Amino acid sequence: MNITPDPWIWLSALLTLAIFSFLFRDNIIYQFAEHLFVGMSAGYLIAITWHNQMLPNLFEPLFIQGNLVYIIPLLFGLCYFARFIPKIGYLVRLPIAFLLGWGSGAIIPAIFQRDILKQTQGTLLVREAFSKWDTGLWAIIMLIGVISVLIYFFFSKERKGIMKPAANLGIIFLMLGFGASFGYTVMSRISLLIGRLQFLLGDWLGIIK
Amino acid sequence: MDIFKALTKIPRQVIFVVIALAVMTPLLIPFGLPIKVMSKSKQLFAAIDSLGPQSKPVLISVDFDPQSMPELYPMLIAILRHCFARDIKVIVMALWPQGPGLAEMALDVIPKEFNKEYGKDFAFLGYKFGVTAILLGMGDNIKNVFPVDYYATPLDSIEITADLQNYNNLSLVITLSAGDPGWRAWLLYAQARYSARVGIGVTAVSAADVYPYVETGQVIGLLAGMKGASEYEILVHQHNYSKGKRVAVQGMDAQSLGHLVIMVFIIIGNIGYFVMRRKK
Repeated sequence: MNITPDPWIWLSALLTLAIFSFLFRDNIIYQFAEHLFVGMSAGYLIAITWHNQMLPNLFEPLFIQGNLVYIIPLLFGLCYFARFIPKIGYLVRLPIAFLLGWGSGAIIPAIFQRDILKQTQGTLLVREAFSKWDTGLWAIIMLIGVISVLIYFFFSKERKGIMKPAANLGIIFLMLGFGASFGYTVMSRISLLIGRLQFLLGDWLGIIK
Repeated sequence: MDIFKALTKIPRQVIFVVIALAVMTPLLIPFGLPIKVMSKSKQLFAAIDSLGPQSKPVLISVDFDPQSMPELYPMLIAILRHCFARDIKVIVMALWPQGPGLAEMALDVIPKEFNKEYGKDFAFLGYKFGVTAILLGMGDNIKNVFPVDYYATPLDSIEITADLQNYNNLSLVITLSAGDPGWRAWLLYAQARYSARVGIGVTAVSAADVYPYVETGQVIGLLAGMKGASEYEILVHQHNYSKGKRVAVQGMDAQSLGHLVIMVFIIIGNIGYFVMRRKK
């Protein structure tokens, strides 16, 4: 065992143990560590927003370089605070309308490209997919999966005849998807625990290399 | 108390202790269980391996915070080692405010292993707020978005960024993403809009969501969670690019045993539940 003398690692280790103490039950040590984390995160975000966003993108160009065009975004930004004054509260709609309009214009075509066109293309049975037997088989399974799940979410027709088994097959594909997601979530959480234990046993206590 | 009723009511503290022991034991006494490298990790490795000193730089975006370090930081280290071992130029940036600290931590150590020089072999652009404007702006002109690097040096005066214009001047974009903003935004703007080649490393939670995009070729390769990181470490090690510490590989025995214990608990809980239901 080769315990580190580094005070920062000690602090980090003790705070980790403080958070872990919640696993037994809620307690004051856990609450202290939690509040410390929330406070520090908020402070860090405020500082980084000021130095990384407000200062270089608004205050320096406007007040130091004297670029008056920046008055427009300043006024737009100030409109958000109009909400606090009921008489001019409607002004908040201006920046929201701008953001919604600009955001929709930027995002909608890209989403069509990313999620609809490319994904539909990926579901098509093309000749290249059958260059090997296994890729061909997966392509067919994927097509069946997509169609059956779409049928499951098609609510305009009663589930009778072929629609019923197709929708049930869709449920199986959905469950497989949920199962994979849950498995990955467990893996993720265990990874976080491993990371902390590697830190405690390695960086702090020096038991593992 | 009925044994089956007890099985459905195991105190959570007992479960935590058993899982902690199951995860801790292999860290102290490694088993060396084999790790199979998946094709999606190989694809990302091959994409980087096909590049060389004459290639355009690789952009790595550190889109995670310290909470996701166990899964994504080993990926960052392994990819940096791979790039530097192949003399590929690297540009690093962050879409998360906590990203610069993590990126700097890696860039303080890994370039020294390969005698790489700041400005000539790698550069660090830092963090910018506003993902949509940033990624769309980079498609037009990266220097408009990042006029200076993290250390306030103009990009024009840095060797590897002097001629940088947009995504066309990058071989590859790799996002190591723990959520939003992250891989979705890179696919949405850099890939769908500007046809950039995008590789992704994600936390295991997000992995299932990325798979459809790998299948369609929108993503050139995927590293999923600590398993993906360990696979990349193995590939880098197998190709003799680095003999550095492999943190994710070290954690994989613990990962396997942890999963086994959780599976046992799920089975025990289900047996108890079904027997109790039959009794009712």
